[in-house]
Amino acid sequence: MVTKILNLYRLATKRGRAALGAVLTVLALFLGIAAASAAVMPAPAPASAPLASAVAPAVAHASAADVKGKTFSVATDTTFAPFEFRNGSGDLVGIDMDLLRAIAANQGFKVDIKSLGFDAALQALQSNQVQGVIAGMSITDKRKLIFDFSDPYFDSGIQMAVAKSNNDVKTYSDLKGKSVAVKRGSEGETFANSIKAKYGFTVKALADSATMYDDVKAGNSVAVFDDYPVLAYGVSQNNGLKIVTPKERGSSYGFAVNKGQNADLLTAFDKGLANLKASGEYQKILDKYLAAPETAKQTSFFQLLANSFPALMKGLGMTLLATALSLVIALVLGIVFGFFKVGESRILRIIASIYVEIFRGTPLLVQAFFFYFGLPQLTGQPLNVLSAGVITLSLNAGAYMTEIVRGGIQSVDPGQLEASRSLGLGYVTSMRRVVVPQAIKIMTPSFINQFVITLKDTSLLAVIGFAELTYQGQQIYAANFRTGETLLIVAAIYFIVIFILTQLSNVLDRKFNK
Amino acid sequence: MSDATASGTTAKIRVRDLKKSFGSNEVLKGLDVDVAEGEVVCVIGPSGSGKSTFLRCLNKLEDITAGTVTVDGYDLTDPKVDLNAVRQHIGMVFQHFNLFPHMTALQNIMLAPVELKKLDKAAARAKGMELLKRVGLAEKADARPASLSGGQKQRVAIARALAMNPGIMLFDEATSALDPEMVGEVLQVIRDLAAEGMTMVVVTHEMGFAREVADRVIFMDAGVICEEGAPEAIFSHAEQPRLQDFLAKVL
Ligand SMILES: Nc1ncnc2c1ncn2[C@@H]1O[C@H](COP(=O)(O)OP(=O)(O)O)[C@@H](O)[C@H]1O
Ligand SMILES: [Mg+2]
Repeated sequence: MVTKILNLYRLATKRGRAALGAVLTVLALFLGIAAASAAVMPAPAPASAPLASAVAPAVAHASAADVKGKTFSVATDTTFAPFEFRNGSGDLVGIDMDLLRAIAANQGFKVDIKSLGFDAALQALQSNQVQGVIAGMSITDKRKLIFDFSDPYFDSGIQMAVAKSNNDVKTYSDLKGKSVAVKRGSEGETFANSIKAKYGFTVKALADSATMYDDVKAGNSVAVFDDYPVLAYGVSQNNGLKIVTPKERGSSYGFAVNKGQNADLLTAFDKGLANLKASGEYQKILDKYLAAPETAKQTSFFQLLANSFPALMKGLGMTLLATALSLVIALVLGIVFGFFKVGESRILRIIASIYVEIFRGTPLLVQAFFFYFGLPQLTGQPLNVLSAGVITLSLNAGAYMTEIVRGGIQSVDPGQLEASRSLGLGYVTSMRRVVVPQAIKIMTPSFINQFVITLKDTSLLAVIGFAELTYQGQQIYAANFRTGETLLIVAAIYFIVIFILTQLSNVLDRKFNK
Repeated sequence: MSDATASGTTAKIRVRDLKKSFGSNEVLKGLDVDVAEGEVVCVIGPSGSGKSTFLRCLNKLEDITAGTVTVDGYDLTDPKVDLNAVRQHIGMVFQHFNLFPHMTALQNIMLAPVELKKLDKAAARAKGMELLKRVGLAEKADARPASLSGGQKQRVAIARALAMNPGIMLFDEATSALDPEMVGEVLQVIRDLAAEGMTMVVVTHEMGFAREVADRVIFMDAGVICEEGAPEAIFSHAEQPRLQDFLAKVL
């Protein structure tokens, strides 16, 4: 059966080949654009380089020998300014980032930083996708059960902020009957929960700082509880809030590894941290982000567009790459399982049906989490984010493609196959020369449709930290707090790209499938 | 009934106790039919009586539930028999033509000889043109089916069925989907084939035609052969009340 299908695929009729060619041309075009945009992307600047060279020689004697020259993957939050966020050119910077890079340089190891989001970073660590996490994470007793922490590298504290225009809420007592936003899993959440009964407010947990601030600005929540450096930095970047309470005594931040694992990395971190504190470099890094964070000037929309364009194009390149790869694989899956579905073998029909039902019957988001976090935990084999993303999208789109192929073949009059068989032509030849060429014509519009859906679905991969267009957009507004405008730009890019590609597909369809 | 025909040669088609069920619905209830070389057998009967199913069992487009169908000495119910090879010797013409819409008339005809490596492209083209000429459509060689009239489509379909030089032709109500003015041109082609000595099984509603070209007429009703015999005997001296009823309705 499989060879039959391969035959079919390989030996498409002249017209079939033309139509198939149309599909492939569009895919090739996709790849072309992706490659082209990859080519125009500036190489990411090695942000830590100057720092590293300044620090390394002086204190090199106190390094842990066994980490030297090794590379460690370290996960972090997507945006927890000023601890981690992307600057105007799309590079990850912040206290955590500068500190980690300086410590790595000091101790002679390399770090591969993965910006995943807070929850995702912890999951990545637990599933051994990464060796460490640095994400402005408070050292708590609960976390100590599953992680080993470094010496504290920062002492935090919680403050409350409200919308700039809000003059009614000044103390915790003013929160009665209101809703406050906190970051899920954060110290702010713990603090808010500890006092909510006393002051009679409700707590709403959100995924990141930018979303929290937007929630307050939109009036859904009246206040936020967040770590003081984070709030201070946000206010300095015109996040539209003001701080109204003094700092609560808070917890300390630490670098984490899995319990009982990577002890040498942890030791190296502690040694490096001690070295940096001794050399004064540590204080310099803190001051850079906390002492006098330079206040952002409110820039125009077009400046925002110009500033964010390189990062967004980088994201678009990844979007198109993931789309193209996924569609090629999905097309193959769709053809194989589609033929299983119309074939004579009951077992293959059942296999194909199970495949389709599973991938149509579960949310794409759950599938993405499963392939990125779940599967590595089951197999012990880490999967990079592009592979996990492409696997997810291919299998998902493949299920829909299967139905398209099945529907296309079944919509061809059965009399066509009978006429061909009555001439003495075999099943494969009849499918190849008679049924498939007619089915392709019927399927083309659905293929184009699926290809637009898959392109848009790549945006869901932002949640596993795949740096596609939506993700880049999130990174940008997380740092500049201009959510609306940034999303407008992102949406416009999607719209333009999809519009161009659909028009092109339609032209090719008309040309080859007339 | 003897297995040999009057002339002493073995039957071209031999059907023994043929039964066909769709699920629990038994559509053919044990048919015995012989068709001799060069014989034209017309099958008549009310709609739903199993005529098409019977015809489709003769080239095994339908799975056979029980009994045997032997064509040119090959038992189609024997799994070792290469059905594709047998089908090359049996041309079939359908009520709704079933031309391939994505190919021209000539390509429709050339498909089987070229794919089955019977002829090279040039020879297949020549053969195709000759067949088109024979059905009077040489000028439509490059036309797509969609641009042909019903009668023209059916004539192309007949030419296509002849492309592999079959020894047997099966017609399933070849003219019932046609406008009345086009019936004649198609019947003429079938009549010519009969005159050339082609072995044919023709399911038809054209009683006049059946009477004219058939060597033998089979009347089917409810999955059994009710009556069979020379056209004269069937049409002029019907004995069975069911046949009389049927003829009263269609004549
Ligand atoms: N593929 C099929 N599945 C189920 N029943 C069928 C199928 N083909 C034919 N039948 C049934 O078999 C009976 C005979 O059909 P058919 O051979 O087409 O009759 P006729 O050609 O004499 O009108 C009808 O009752 C019809 O409904
Ligand atoms: Mg019929």
